[in-house]
Amino acid sequence: MDGYTQTGIQTAHRLGILGLSVLLLAVVLELVRRGYLKERYALLWLATAGLSLLVGAFPSIITWLAHLFNFQYLTVLFAMYFAFTLALVLCFTIVISRLAERNRELTQEVALLAHKVEQIEKDPPP
Amino acid sequence: MPRVLVIIPAYNEEETIGDVIAALRSHSPEYNVLVIDDGSHDRTAERVRATGHAALVRLPYNLGIGGAMQTGFKYAIRQGYDIAIQCDADGQHPVEQIPSLVERLSRNDADVVIGSRYVADSGYTPSLSRRIGKSILSRLVDALIGGGITDTTSGFRAMNRRALEVFADRYPDDYPEAEALVILHMCGLRAVEIPVTMHPRKGGVTSIKPPHAAYYMVKVGLAIFVDLFRTTKRTTSGEP
Repeated sequence: MDGYTQTGIQTAHRLGILGLSVLLLAVVLELVRRGYLKERYALLWLATAGLSLLVGAFPSIITWLAHLFNFQYLTVLFAMYFAFTLALVLCFTIVISRLAERNRELTQEVALLAHKVEQIEKDPPP
Repeated sequence: MPRVLVIIPAYNEEETIGDVIAALRSHSPEYNVLVIDDGSHDRTAERVRATGHAALVRLPYNLGIGGAMQTGFKYAIRQGYDIAIQCDADGQHPVEQIPSLVERLSRNDADVVIGSRYVADSGYTPSLSRRIGKSILSRLVDALIGGGITDTTSGFRAMNRRALEVFADRYPDDYPEAEALVILHMCGLRAVEIPVTMHPRKGGVTSIKPPHAAYYMVKVGLAIFVDLFRTTKRTTSGEP
């Protein structure tokens, strides 16, 4: 052993992961149930919670990864959550871009329709 | 005779828009005029209405030059125009030279005709960094689309129906002129240029904030780079 990797994961950490995962899962499901979060956007959150739960249930995944990269297992844990965060933020920027695009099209359509209405009011068809 | 629409995007141009429309009316009364009021806070819309010679489409908020022009392209297509001209509202674009653009377009070997500023007496001198940025991008774009265009950022241009259909579907948000040429090229359409002499500004200060040179370079550069790798649907070409 090189001293960086530990053979086991501390019980407190494991419980922390499990608690966090269950809490996240519960919050996301409740938000979906109340209609505050759309299902399609909840999927990534559910995946995060699910994988987190998996890690809590089988902590050997973490210690194996830590050994593989020669990291401390806590580093691996944080890296994992950081990766999820990045994925979520990327997902949001995609959503925002699409909304901006649709917003632009709607704005143009509204302006063109307003013009048409104005024309019709000024010069009503017989 | 092709039906021609002159599209003027205007953002806070109350001082000059009336004169531009008046000049259009006296030089080319046969062309219809459309002003896209891009969310102006001044009396641009009133000035346009007062002329009685231009259709007015008002955007509820400022979309930027790209979004405003695209609104005009959509209007042109829906109203069945054959040719659309893009012309600035500040009086720098020489409206008396629009017939030359239309004439060049009617030769049917190009889809866009650009009025190039070989002689730029606009009274507006961009910063050195911006000039360098523009010149690099201009050459890059020219090389990408196979050469022949010296002034890729000129906003004084004529487009035929095929080009309008491409742009109504896809047009960049900001600093659209150069990128639009790349989009056009990727769709298999062709642009040519003819020389024009720009007028000096008619008055007032420019409402167009010069973009930060670095932002301009990176934004347009990235957009063009991405455009090159996009799968483009070729427009079903037929005689316009």
